[in-house]
Amino acid sequence: MFKKVLIANRGEIALRVIWACKELGLKTVAVYSEADADGLHVRFADEAVCIGPPRNIDSYLNIPAIISAAEITGADAIHPGYGFLSESGYLAEICEACSIKFIGPSPQAIRLMGDKSRAKKAMAKAGVPVVPGSQGVLEDEQKAVRVAKEVGFPVILKASAGGGGRGMRVVREAAEVAAAFRAAQAEAQAAFGVPDVYIEKYVQNPRHIEIQVMADTRGNVVHLGERECSVQRRHQKILEEAPSPAISDKLRRRMGRTAVEAAASVQYVNAGTIEFLLDQDGSYYFMEMNTRIQVEHGVTELVTGRDLVKEQIHVAAGEPLSFSQREISIHGHAIECRINAEDPVTFVPSPGTIRHYFQPGGPGVRVDTFAHEGCEISPYYDSMIGKLMAYGRTRPEAIARMRRCLEVMVVEGIRTNIPLHLRILDDADFAAGRIDTGFMERFLPKKKAAASP
Amino acid sequence: MDIADLKEILRILEEQDITEFELEQDGVKLRVCRASAVAPVRPLVGLPPDLAAAPLPVAPPAAPGGAAPPGAASEAEPAANGTIVKSPIVGTFYRAADPNSQPFVAVGDRVKVGQVLCIIEAMKLMNEIEAEIAGEVVKVHVENGQAVQYGDPLFTVRPA
Repeated sequence: MFKKVLIANRGEIALRVIWACKELGLKTVAVYSEADADGLHVRFADEAVCIGPPRNIDSYLNIPAIISAAEITGADAIHPGYGFLSESGYLAEICEACSIKFIGPSPQAIRLMGDKSRAKKAMAKAGVPVVPGSQGVLEDEQKAVRVAKEVGFPVILKASAGGGGRGMRVVREAAEVAAAFRAAQAEAQAAFGVPDVYIEKYVQNPRHIEIQVMADTRGNVVHLGERECSVQRRHQKILEEAPSPAISDKLRRRMGRTAVEAAASVQYVNAGTIEFLLDQDGSYYFMEMNTRIQVEHGVTELVTGRDLVKEQIHVAAGEPLSFSQREISIHGHAIECRINAEDPVTFVPSPGTIRHYFQPGGPGVRVDTFAHEGCEISPYYDSMIGKLMAYGRTRPEAIARMRRCLEVMVVEGIRTNIPLHLRILDDADFAAGRIDTGFMERFLPKKKAAASP
Repeated sequence: MDIADLKEILRILEEQDITEFELEQDGVKLRVCRASAVAPVRPLVGLPPDLAAAPLPVAPPAAPGGAAPPGAASEAEPAANGTIVKSPIVGTFYRAADPNSQPFVAVGDRVKVGQVLCIIEAMKLMNEIEAEIAGEVVKVHVENGQAVQYGDPLFTVRPA
């Protein structure tokens, strides 16, 4: 087991790792930028090293500074948290070269899964369902029509070089394909300079369902159930829950098995998350794999009773998983609301000083945060100031508990999205579990209509 | 100076275990460096032999020796009796190029802009830290071999 762990991160996740290390009797080293000199992770770690000025590139993304900090403190392991360098194959590689254990998967697994195209190919090869579509670029209209019929309608034509929703066309009937193909090519040429177009099955308003996996160095791979993460705005998750109201025990077993096979096929080690798109008809497709601990890991911990960060450390130290698949069971329901320093209506970030702070407690409440009274929320880092989690025996109880928590939580001096979360919980569709990735798009206009006089 | 003189000098140096010796006489300058019988304070592990003997590499661009990164606050801070030179990187501070050499600077020395003040070792690379202002070294804040973090005071230099 390690003697000293350096946490290459900040904010709430740095504290989360420090908690796990303290419970395991390991010494901790915090690294910080000048903007975080008063951060709680700096105060609660056994040692702290200032690694640079406020900008991410000079500090939390500064590999030489982080490695050097590990060297001068004698840290024998580095936990990268999430974001920052957590999916840097380069950091993982340098740790190996410097005989420092990177608490996470291998550089090879990080790089493979980090390349979305390679990852999809690897998953398809392993028999994991991926969004069906053309193998690469479509040469002509005839090929487009043929593939579209094979895949099944509706389909979406996408520009290979594209992004941002441009060069995409949804087609619902065979008769429309040829014209749509020509138009998509023209748009792709105009926007990206390359007319290459490919086809995928169009999964309309899917649910974003992700499966937590954990693997050790002995080849044991276990899944810990799913998280429902469909409540998103511009691909940023706002609220997550476990389990998903849409997943039956049978579907959980199937998706869990798929996730385990996916992780095993790339010899994955440590914590990971496989993201799927779940279609309305119950079919699911691999979207991507995140090779790190995630922000929303806490809801899985609440419904399984397991400590995922401690498990990461055990696995990295070469120990076997402390549980088998049979020993994992899901009990109750957990919801997480990401508390962001932003305007609840305009989403404009709201940095500043927290003048008054009170966080809820009582049964079934978990708060992971670095916020406190007098705390400076700086503009240099992302706006999430904490994660509020509520656990209940049922989904309705979890919702009622979360509502109660949001109503009494006090964060004054900055704006937060607490009012937004309250409105989401009150929404009839949300309460009924009728959510998918189109939820926020449908919800926000409703909210505005309610707000206007 | 003839060969007999030279042999005599070398004999005395060895007898007295003197590691560095300089003599200037009659237009001839003699400098002798000897390996000491005493083990060096800190072996330069990890460096290939040719690198250990070669001139030290200049600091990598990510951590320019002594130069503040663009847009960042100046690392030099006015103090009561001079300007504080702060560490631009994390690492181990060394006052000299190697355990057998003289320190780059001592209290009382005058330094020029760009002059090497010290070495900070990070990830087995020796980074030369250069003076940003000219003046007199009035204080050395850290001990040889001490760990330093970003922003730690290294020297106070009185501008002159």
